[in-house]
Amino acid sequence: MSNASLQPATVAPASPGFIAESWRRFRRRKLASLAFCFVVALTLVAIFSPAIAGTKPVVCKYQGGIYFPALSYFNPRWENEIFFRDGFRQRYVENLKEKDPNSWAIWPLVYQDPYRRVREGEWPGHPGNASYAPPNRRNLFGTNHPGVDVFAQMVHGTRIALLVGFVSTGIAALIGLTVGALAGYLGGKLDMLLSRVIEMVMCIPALVLILALLAVLDTPTIWHLMAVLGLTGWTSIARLTRAEFLKLRQTEYVAAARALGAGRLRIMFRHILPNSLAPVLVPISFGIAAAILIESGLSFLGFGAPPPNPSWGTLLNAGRANLQMWWLILFPGLAVFLTVLAYNLIGEGIQEATDPKLRQGRK
Amino acid sequence: MVNYLIRRLLIGFVTLAMITFVIFGLIRNMPGTPLTMDLAETDPSRQISPDELERLEKIYGLDKHWSVAYVQWLGNLMKLDFGRSFREKRPVSTVIGERIGPTLVLSATSLVLAYLLAVPLGLYTTARGGKTDERVTSTLLYMLYSVPSFVTALLLLNLFYVRLEGTPFQLPLGGMTSMNYEELSGFGKLWDRFLHMLLPVACATYGSLAYYSRFVKSNMEEVIRQDYIRTARAKGVPPFQVLVRHAFRNTLIPFVTLIGLTLPGLLSGFVILESVFTWQGMGLLFLDSITNRDYPTIMGLTLMFSVLTLAGQLIADILYAFVDPRVTYS
Repeated sequence: MSNASLQPATVAPASPGFIAESWRRFRRRKLASLAFCFVVALTLVAIFSPAIAGTKPVVCKYQGGIYFPALSYFNPRWENEIFFRDGFRQRYVENLKEKDPNSWAIWPLVYQDPYRRVREGEWPGHPGNASYAPPNRRNLFGTNHPGVDVFAQMVHGTRIALLVGFVSTGIAALIGLTVGALAGYLGGKLDMLLSRVIEMVMCIPALVLILALLAVLDTPTIWHLMAVLGLTGWTSIARLTRAEFLKLRQTEYVAAARALGAGRLRIMFRHILPNSLAPVLVPISFGIAAAILIESGLSFLGFGAPPPNPSWGTLLNAGRANLQMWWLILFPGLAVFLTVLAYNLIGEGIQEATDPKLRQGRK
Repeated sequence: MVNYLIRRLLIGFVTLAMITFVIFGLIRNMPGTPLTMDLAETDPSRQISPDELERLEKIYGLDKHWSVAYVQWLGNLMKLDFGRSFREKRPVSTVIGERIGPTLVLSATSLVLAYLLAVPLGLYTTARGGKTDERVTSTLLYMLYSVPSFVTALLLLNLFYVRLEGTPFQLPLGGMTSMNYEELSGFGKLWDRFLHMLLPVACATYGSLAYYSRFVKSNMEEVIRQDYIRTARAKGVPPFQVLVRHAFRNTLIPFVTLIGLTLPGLLSGFVILESVFTWQGMGLLFLDSITNRDYPTIMGLTLMFSVLTLAGQLIADILYAFVDPRVTYS
């Protein structure tokens, strides 16, 4: 007799995991999927921003070498020093032709710069940007006061918006979930202590802390802003997590797990956390949206991403001083709105896809 | 309960001391002092000599280390002395006191409006769950929540101030009253104030309205699937009563916490909106005092916001025990 006949005749198919199942349910929701596609598209715009709008070649051959000057939009230090040595002064079109007739270059889709005004004759047939130009063929979204193209600023501003949302909420969620779980499940003195810490951080008006911290730093960067937003924004997540843990640790299944000898950490993160995650995902999804809102709000007030970073809020700030220039308000406003909306829809989609209680009702 | 209250109050004071200590340290380490910030604005011919600067620093207590100054500030606080505003040359309590009213008018109006509209909206969307009109309403509410209030403010100003200029529909650019307010009749004054409040209140309300109604709905959706709701329906309770008496009552606990948590927002929440509409409230005062490095005013406002937040949380926790017999403090 072979071993095979001892095996059961039919093997039950492995049931899909929690994440695979949730992803399937998430995709079934049209709006949430659309929002997800929007964020993916926005990410692509952010990654390829120097290739979409810029005044530096994406790829160029110059004096025998291949260079990628457009990468300097990500980090100014990535600009090859040969261009400094040869005195390009950010004018690639004329200098490439002049200094090396054999050079070639692949240019961005739109020849506009997020940091400076494009002047007449810089690009063959380009009349140069007018100051305060309404949207036209050359400036798709118009220009601001110094004549800098709004479209280019918005394309490059996508990077800041996405990074701020992701990084700051990531920090906030990490702190919030840990603190909330520890306080809610372990209770006692630790809960007392952590609750006081939560209260303290909540009581510090976020704007005071952000402004004070940014002012104290000598050269605040967008990364400082993200850290500050993350360090101040975790309290609502922690409070909700704590409330959920307080509720769930009294339930029968936790008692059962404890009776079976599961350790504290295992119960906290394996049994309670997945069940408390759904309500907590709401503040997290709103948190990303809120971080983007706060960043644009700070830039709007003139306290945000330090210049010359092109941020959507900075454009809105210019629109505030020039109320009749609707293109300085509408386009960046729409961008902030759509991004925030997308994150809210995604959050809601995740909630309905992962919450077993909602799932039963809406098969 | 009394023991619990006393303990909470004591902890509250410690928390307050720590918050103010952190903020005091931070603002005193910001580059620039009230004296030099003032100098930056005046013309070079009126620059203060180093001797004069030293004398002024002594008067304002800026020559001491910030930790010493903090202890001094605390000591004065015990005597209910908040200090004098550098910029306004008046006591901080007077300066802040003047700004409480305008902010309260703005925030209370928008909060009451938001709550009044949010509960019925939330119940309605729960009742119609999954139907077309519910999807449309909910989607519209998400959209509203996602529109930044300052973008709306700018767009509304572009419409009502710039485009409708000269028509009877033109609304004021900002401020709380018109230039000719004093000459208006009693009703005219009221109407003038109403017109000035219209845009700020609209901008302040729609976001929280969307948030609260979503909050009500997401809580209701959990409750509505419970067995006792099915029981209530099965024994023939009218749908409206099931929704309000059986379901909504059981969502009150998170709702109560939300009220406690929004209390500090009542007075501190509108920094950006007040700045857009030059509404002379505390948010605008706070922003101005940060740019002017007006330390005593910043500290006064920080203390006030913190006290409010602590009070809000305490109230939320007490209400928690009130509405949920399972929660006790002993």
